[in-house]
Amino acid sequence: MTGGVATAGNGTRPAGARTAIVNRAIGLARLSPTATAGLLIILFFGFLALFADALMPHDPELAFAQRVLQPPSADHWLGTDGNGMDVLSRVIYGSRFGFGIAIPAVLISLLIGIPVGLFAGYRGGMLDEVLMRFFDGLRVFPSIILALAVVAATGPSLLNVVLVLGFLDSPVFARVVRSEVLALRSSVFVEAAVAAGNPTWRIMFVHLLPNAIQGAMAQSAVRAAWAVRISATLAFLGVGIQAPTPEWGAMIRQGAEFMITGQWWVALFPGIALIFLVFGLNMFGDGLQELLNPRRKAAK
Amino acid sequence: MSFGTFFLRRMLMVIPLLVGIVFVTFMLIRVGGLDPVGRLAGPTATAEEFEMIRAELGLDQPVWVQFAIYAGKVAQGDLGESWLSNRPVLDDILERTVISLELLLWGVGIGALIGIPVGVRAAFRPDGRFDQISRILSLFGFSIPTYWLGLVMLFVFFYLLGWAPPGIGRISLMVSPPDFITGSYLIDALLTANWPAFGSAFSHMVLPVICLAIVSAAPIIKHTRAIALEVLSSDAVRYARASGLPARIVRKLVLRNSATPVLTFVGTEVTGLVGTMSLIEYVFAWGGLGQYGLNAIVRGDFTAVQGYVLSLALFSVIVFLIIDFVVFLIEPRAELQ
Repeated sequence: MTGGVATAGNGTRPAGARTAIVNRAIGLARLSPTATAGLLIILFFGFLALFADALMPHDPELAFAQRVLQPPSADHWLGTDGNGMDVLSRVIYGSRFGFGIAIPAVLISLLIGIPVGLFAGYRGGMLDEVLMRFFDGLRVFPSIILALAVVAATGPSLLNVVLVLGFLDSPVFARVVRSEVLALRSSVFVEAAVAAGNPTWRIMFVHLLPNAIQGAMAQSAVRAAWAVRISATLAFLGVGIQAPTPEWGAMIRQGAEFMITGQWWVALFPGIALIFLVFGLNMFGDGLQELLNPRRKAAK
Repeated sequence: MSFGTFFLRRMLMVIPLLVGIVFVTFMLIRVGGLDPVGRLAGPTATAEEFEMIRAELGLDQPVWVQFAIYAGKVAQGDLGESWLSNRPVLDDILERTVISLELLLWGVGIGALIGIPVGVRAAFRPDGRFDQISRILSLFGFSIPTYWLGLVMLFVFFYLLGWAPPGIGRISLMVSPPDFITGSYLIDALLTANWPAFGSAFSHMVLPVICLAIVSAAPIIKHTRAIALEVLSSDAVRYARASGLPARIVRKLVLRNSATPVLTFVGTEVTGLVGTMSLIEYVFAWGGLGQYGLNAIVRGDFTAVQGYVLSLALFSVIVFLIIDFVVFLIEPRAELQ
């Protein structure tokens, strides 16, 4: 019934507007097939996450005591795990953790990184020097290990995972924004804004920010992929989210021992889901970055 | 600038970095507000014993004094004792370094051997079929969780096909390890002509090395392509092409000019891959530094975690130094920033 209403709604709209939207979408898709494919994968997982309750055939934490470690069957499409829980339901529910961690973590990184990058780039001087040396110094620590160690030290809760990932990743955005601000700092529109008597904060946030933020936005999909990967790694090691919770990394951890005894489905499917979400985010980010790359624009 | 002055100036730049590294590893414990005293004293300790241990560890001092104490100890090579095993952390780390280095060098070496030619070839025809396929594969390589890849490989090559050993350790329990020379079973077995040990060590090594090679090839492909593209659009190469030089010579020119940035990237990547390698070690029970560190993290053995993080950072510093020296030698116009 709802379907009929939707069609009627579309029918009342002028036909020209609709084809224009479709054409525009096709044009964008042609411009960057990579970004489009990535976006479709992300949307697919977004759909799973939003409608998990309706899509899951079973309760993800309901243990069927009689059906432990059963291979894929009509009743359990992806089999059951060592507790007798339905793997398909758990994989679907797991997408919520992917987004639930990546989105806030990247937001935190943006909220810290962008102002720091703006300030360092615009003000320059000692502060800039010290910050950049500090960020350079942080590079000697492999990011996975630093994240693992800090989460382990602060305690393995969902909130800590998000905070630590967001904080550790903020230098990436600070760097990107800073380099854009450095390039824009001496441009005419900034000089004009200064001459017109704008206060510094206004120049930074109203005049520079919108022009310097593109790179950071394109970068955020790639960083979201990083956050999803690291949070799953944490759970795999048992440092992050703990076992019966249907998080992909934790599920792979549960299935690890069964891989060498032949019950492949417990660890295989959450791993595939994880790969595709990370792959989609990486593709989307990669495509965006290439669209923003001026050299490529010039070549086309 | 002569190599001597370059060397000296570069070494001086390392000093503040080292202080910073020691500070971060020191803060690693502080940031969590962990109290080692409770662990060391045990459940039956009295309040006085608690105080004694606090004083012994220097925890009753202000933070900057504690940092000075810690830094002083680190400078003397004292990384403390593991909370769990009570063994000196430094000994544990030194024992395992070669074991991990062996895996890391093979993995990244093979990854570079695959990644660099693929990246260069992709750059010669951007957006061609080869470029698109290699780009998708490299994005895929970026996205695979290493530990999962290791598990799937164990399932396929150990459980299904029976080609590989079960993935516990570096050598079969049935084979006695070769005499200790370097710490690498492969090299030691070769030097002592111990063929059964060599065969077993080799078969244990194949899967983890392939795993690491796949994961390390992905970023190498991506960056080599970007670097070669940049070189291809440089004035030198455009001039060479415009002059009608044969493709073979243009290719040589591109390779020569890409060498330095690619080398720098692969070096940086080695330091980043130490984390990935730790996960592979964890899955294959490799028994190296990575597995030691992850176990320490999982079990909350924080002196060991500190030592582990510190040694990884030192490893990065050393690799960066080596890269800079090599780059200076092959590209003398490089300057210190």
